[in-house]
Amino acid sequence: MNLPFIGWHGVITIALYALFILGTTLYLATKGVSRKSLSGFYLADKGLGPLLLFFTLFSTQYSGNTVIGYPATAYRMGFAWWMSVPYMVMVIVGYMLFAPRLHVVSKKFGFVTPSDWFDKRFNSKPVTLVATLLMAYGLLNYLLEQLVAMGQAISGLTAGVIPYIYGVLFLVAIMLVYEWMGGMKAVALADFINGMVILAGVIGFVILAWVNFGSLSSATANLAQTAPSRVVVPPIQTSMNWLSYYVLVGIGAAVYPHAIQRIYAADSERTLKKSLMRMTWMPFFTTAVVLIIGIIGTQAFPGLDKMGSEQLVGMMANVIAGKSTFNYWFMMLLFSGVIAAIMSTTDSVILSLSSLLSNDIYGKLINPKADEGQKVIWGKVVGIILVFLLLLIAWKPPATLVEIFTLKFEVLIQVAPAFLLGLYWKGLSKTGVLLGMLSGAVLAGVMTFSGVKTFYGWHGGVLGLALNLVVSIVLSFVFPDSPTEQQAAEEAYAWTVRD
Amino acid sequence: MKQVREPIRIKWIWPVLVAIIVLGVPWYLPQGSYKPIIMGFPYWTFISALLTVALSLFLGYVMTYCWDMESTLEDDSKQRKTGGGSK
Repeated sequence: MNLPFIGWHGVITIALYALFILGTTLYLATKGVSRKSLSGFYLADKGLGPLLLFFTLFSTQYSGNTVIGYPATAYRMGFAWWMSVPYMVMVIVGYMLFAPRLHVVSKKFGFVTPSDWFDKRFNSKPVTLVATLLMAYGLLNYLLEQLVAMGQAISGLTAGVIPYIYGVLFLVAIMLVYEWMGGMKAVALADFINGMVILAGVIGFVILAWVNFGSLSSATANLAQTAPSRVVVPPIQTSMNWLSYYVLVGIGAAVYPHAIQRIYAADSERTLKKSLMRMTWMPFFTTAVVLIIGIIGTQAFPGLDKMGSEQLVGMMANVIAGKSTFNYWFMMLLFSGVIAAIMSTTDSVILSLSSLLSNDIYGKLINPKADEGQKVIWGKVVGIILVFLLLLIAWKPPATLVEIFTLKFEVLIQVAPAFLLGLYWKGLSKTGVLLGMLSGAVLAGVMTFSGVKTFYGWHGGVLGLALNLVVSIVLSFVFPDSPTEQQAAEEAYAWTVRD
Repeated sequence: MKQVREPIRIKWIWPVLVAIIVLGVPWYLPQGSYKPIIMGFPYWTFISALLTVALSLFLGYVMTYCWDMESTLEDDSKQRKTGGGSK
């Protein structure tokens, strides 16, 4: 993104904004935080109320890509990109499949990470280890993607005044400080501020775009003449791709480790319900608005190719900002919103990764006898080392094997059967779930590495999940757990069922 | 003992959800058509938008009326305190 109009003003805005977040979180969210308890640090003592829970769900789910990448996709695809609105609602459908039961189970057994569920339900080191590694791998790649996006956004916003790596280092340092001090409580508060800025930026931008470049109706009428394929009912393959997105995002985003931890962190069922109910309406204020921006963009800047369309938001912002001082500063707010969206996703991923390292890798494998304070410190320190290793990769990306760093959703989604089946069916066996996860991850990985991202519109991750489910079920019948093991597994959830 | 409600165990919810979801994708509409344009959206996007609203409303209904499990935790801790089973 190239925004020559911003320069030093952008530098000052980003710096002030980041320092404001740091100051607020340190002032409001570090008192009373227990840094010696896993649940206290990583889940805010399971005491997040409706407002903070909602905002942290919201701003974690919508990343910088929603603001910068989605208008570009809408520009190229046209109205078929409406799919981004219902697929975000589908995340809540995904939650409905397992969150009600998982919430009470997690409260009863004091879960901190998703791996705790694997441990309780399957009582098998290999199963917990494979699930933890899949999640950690997916999270690391997700984090890497956010760091790269952060660097690009900063160097774009400041017109190169701040070089890529210094910008990222500055923001990462701020996030690490408030996370170190306040854990989940600080992340949730930062997400609250970031969420407000994202909303204000996106909604303000669509209003200014509408005023400056013409209405949606005129853009649609124009697009129907110039590029009718972007307005008409799409071909069947696009509809298949649309459904595939429902599964990939609906289930994938619901079983993200940081999403699951937010189910644990809710202070009560009422809070969780309230927050999820609000979440069902957020796509109308975000992805739908962003779609309209992309469609209006087709009239403002017709004929852009793929690379050109990626610059769409920046090009629109340049024109809008040039018209008045108010517009200029409003565009600055929008781009603070972009940084906010990236930061709020990144901080949650870092925290989740750190909890996996401390609770699961260190606490379950390396030193099970350690006290919770030691585990928290270990997770923080190793988490920081990993973040800096990723920064090195983000700074100088390797020329080969880039695909290794692109697997995210495809891998993360493979833990889904352990929740979707494991919470309801005692017959799901260790062998079944283990080989299911592995086969799904391998299929998704092979498809990604070979460059075949979709098959008849269906994503590699979704096909991997389908294979994973089949393998899990079939092998559970072929290699069942012993009756005693099945009884123990059932005890993890049977008390929630009452007929 | 309070009644426990869990969405996944309430069977009628799921066919309704699937219907709303599947009808929201324009696979069944004539490919290549787009008129009339309603509020700036081609008619098929407008239909999909209405079904997305329906999906959000229905999810709100499900969460309000079909999800109530917290009492299982209270009952469970009561049982542990008294050391008794359910009666």
